[in-house]
Amino acid sequence: MIITNPLVPLMHDPVASDPPGLPEDRNVPLTGEPLLEVRFAVPAAPKAFVRRPALAARVTEGVRGPLTLVSGAAGAGKTALMGDWARSGSVPRAIAWVTAEPRDTPELFWAHALEALRRTGVRLRPEVPAPARGHGVDGSFLTRVAAALAARAEPTVLVVDQFDGLAAGGIADGLHFVLAHANGRLRLVLTSRTDPLMPLHRYRASGDITEIRNADLVFTAAEAGELLRVHGLDVSPACVELLVQRTGGWAAGVRLCALAMQRSHDPEAFVREFDADRTAVADYLIAEVLNAQPPATQDLLLRSCVTDRVLPDLADALTGRQDAGWTLARLAGANAFLERIDGAGCSGGAWYRFHPLFAEVLRAHLRYQHPGLEPRLRGRAARWLAEAGHVDDAVAQAAAAGDWLFAAASVIDDLAIARVADGWQTSAFARMPADLPDAACALVTAACRLAAGDIDGCAAGLRRADAGLTDSADPRLLLGRAVLGMLVGRRTGDPAVGDQAARAEDLLRRVPQRLREQHVTAVVSVGLGAAELAAGHLDPAEAGLQAAVAACGCPYAEAPLCDALGCLALVELLRGRLREAEARASEALAKARRSAVRGPPTGLGHVVLAAVAAERDDLETARAELGTAHASARPPVEPLVAVQAAVVGARLATAAGDWEEALALLHGAELSLRTAFLSDWEVDELAIAKSVAHLAQGDADAALAVLGPAPAGRPEHTVAEARALLAVGSGERALALLAGLGDDRSSTAACLAEARLLQAEAAAASGSPCEAERRLRQALELARPERLRRVFVEHGGPWLRQFLRQDPQLARAHAWLPERAVGSPPLGARERTPTPITPLSDRERDVLVQAAQLSSNEEIAAALYVSANTVKTHLTSIYRKLGVSRRRDAVRKARDLGIL
Amino acid sequence: MRYEFRVAGDVSEPVGGAFPELDRARVPDQTLFFGTVTDEAHLYQVLMRFQSLGLHVLEMRQLPQETRQEES
Repeated sequence: MIITNPLVPLMHDPVASDPPGLPEDRNVPLTGEPLLEVRFAVPAAPKAFVRRPALAARVTEGVRGPLTLVSGAAGAGKTALMGDWARSGSVPRAIAWVTAEPRDTPELFWAHALEALRRTGVRLRPEVPAPARGHGVDGSFLTRVAAALAARAEPTVLVVDQFDGLAAGGIADGLHFVLAHANGRLRLVLTSRTDPLMPLHRYRASGDITEIRNADLVFTAAEAGELLRVHGLDVSPACVELLVQRTGGWAAGVRLCALAMQRSHDPEAFVREFDADRTAVADYLIAEVLNAQPPATQDLLLRSCVTDRVLPDLADALTGRQDAGWTLARLAGANAFLERIDGAGCSGGAWYRFHPLFAEVLRAHLRYQHPGLEPRLRGRAARWLAEAGHVDDAVAQAAAAGDWLFAAASVIDDLAIARVADGWQTSAFARMPADLPDAACALVTAACRLAAGDIDGCAAGLRRADAGLTDSADPRLLLGRAVLGMLVGRRTGDPAVGDQAARAEDLLRRVPQRLREQHVTAVVSVGLGAAELAAGHLDPAEAGLQAAVAACGCPYAEAPLCDALGCLALVELLRGRLREAEARASEALAKARRSAVRGPPTGLGHVVLAAVAAERDDLETARAELGTAHASARPPVEPLVAVQAAVVGARLATAAGDWEEALALLHGAELSLRTAFLSDWEVDELAIAKSVAHLAQGDADAALAVLGPAPAGRPEHTVAEARALLAVGSGERALALLAGLGDDRSSTAACLAEARLLQAEAAAASGSPCEAERRLRQALELARPERLRRVFVEHGGPWLRQFLRQDPQLARAHAWLPERAVGSPPLGARERTPTPITPLSDRERDVLVQAAQLSSNEEIAAALYVSANTVKTHLTSIYRKLGVSRRRDAVRKARDLGIL
Repeated sequence: MRYEFRVAGDVSEPVGGAFPELDRARVPDQTLFFGTVTDEAHLYQVLMRFQSLGLHVLEMRQLPQETRQEES
């Protein structure tokens, strides 16, 4: 049984004997957000605690089935019950525990749930393929989670504590999906204040749910009496009865009452007073507990409740005193709705958190007693947190305080602007006014707009920032500006993107070393490489991108890492190294999959895989990958990606004989990219794709005309031109062009193979079979290593088939050639799978002949002088013999088999 | 839209203050919160706030739109 001990910081992986296979799991940060260790820890038992064996036994019973729901009011004792159950070892297998948080997005939630599962030894298998829709948590992701669970020999118990408020956002849907597809290997336990948005009625109908609800969680008089006893209170049964009645058996009420009674001279009198008072239970009791504390403690509690995590040093900063460490330890020891968390995931040793109910009421008291103090406290907390390096919390506090200047400055100072552009903290900044006269605020606004795909809004933000920036400004501000300029430039295809990247690189040298070893360096170096790639400079692009991959070892760098790998994949594709391109693209997608957090752009990876598949004439895979690329694209799509997607899309449409669709795709791409700056090679790629579509259409003149003047050093253009020239009948000019095409490094294998094929085709047409064969052999040798089947499909034809038929040895040596190109055996032998069938009887044949004329059963019966029932019997027999289930299929199959 | 929420027990000033957008009235053993709720999202948020403060909602209903006559 693997239980994460809450008292030991989880520095080690509890599953030491993992199966080998994914060693990199350990050093690749799982997500873009820090995974707070405490979220995986089973909460420690409260000091004074009553065990509830009957309820625990129901949980044990519950995890024999798929779903256990523990629902009840705040403070009903849900977490305490589950914690006790998890520690008790009631089930002999690993328990994954994750505490949900109200602000969890599906991505964040799953990142944590996955980590919790990982700690019990559940491994995701990235190779499980599935169609993806959207980004982040998609069907593919959930399928993989379910598959990983289903592959386990033993069921895995996953406890999701505090599932409240997560109903929205599709998390419940996702859990429902995984539960349904994990082959019974997931046993889910949810604790929640509200019923989760899962189809609970269905679980109830199938008996697949165990529910422990508020009515089950209420304390009996016996349990309440025991709780008072463990608090050192000895009161009469009548008094306990009164207490249970007044609190309605509410666990937190009984506990609060015990705390207040401990401080009361006459506990029984306290209960009578409580019973006589008509104030709401929680309201009354928390006020009692609070008022029983000395003034300094009350002040500490009120001031420290503004942060989710109560850090003693931060609490001191908020009170201006030095007593927090001691006071908080005492309160936690006295079980005053404060829980001590030891060191886990936080730099400064022990910290505390309030019971959620207690924190809410404290905040209400704070606002009432000290109106206007809360924002000031939050502002102070933000500064302390920023100083201590907790940028996430600092930004959240400053934003909650409406201190936008500080919130934005924190982002800029931490060089985290690119993370905002990836969606980090954008919800915190959602309420920031757009017109604050501050360069940092303007930059953050621009980054938020970019994250939302609003390029115009981003540009407006950048203009406002520029108005307040001079060259003498803080280098961190200037760096933020340059990084955003680079990011938005890539999305719009701005020719100045390289300059922005170079400027960002330059500015990086002017910020402190400590800040430099971060996410931002990775982002800038990807930007530099991508700019070279966009300009068509493959060698510097590759060097830059490889440096970028090396710089992506820091936290939060998954998005730039996926980005860099995707760009590298494109570099390899453009060089014609399909295997490397495929490997890089797959690597990028695998990294993106491992990160459940929104961000890593995957479009380029899928487009490259589509292009590779298209070169190999695997059209089905190519279409699927392209579809995924489109589905996961966040507009506006980077021109680099859009051009490639259009070219591959056009190629696939052309291959399917739909040249109109191909041309429409290319025109559409040009239209949407008309404001973008496309480099020469990108314009040329589009033109070549158009030319090919025109050739498929049979319009050779248009194919030639659309190509335009050749950009320097584009063998692809030369080949396309030669192809069009051949089609218009200018064979000599075509051959002259092709002869000039050397075997130099700049030509890809695909390009050269196509050139040799064209030469072979021309030679065959002009009656030089020897020359044709020589060229064909060259083409085959060029295409063999990467299995470049497409060129043979496009240029194959009767001449190629004839060659291969005359030379079976050659055909055998290149068995990888697609049948479509080689020419295939007679249709009947290949496509019709000769399923041996029982011959139809004469009568059955008669029935089928009638059925083929679309006669109804009654009409057939009348025509053959039999009853309608007999017709039915014959039909059933026919279906069985033909292996079909419908009349229409039977007729079709009978025709295929020549029976009709 | 205007709503009324009936909550068990008296609610103290500090806790009642957590609902600045609603007016409050005491009735025996209960507190009424009433006022304008912007939309459904706001409505559910109010219900969650009751829950997170440990307040027990006994009843909730939509009120007719306020008119001049009722005000006077």
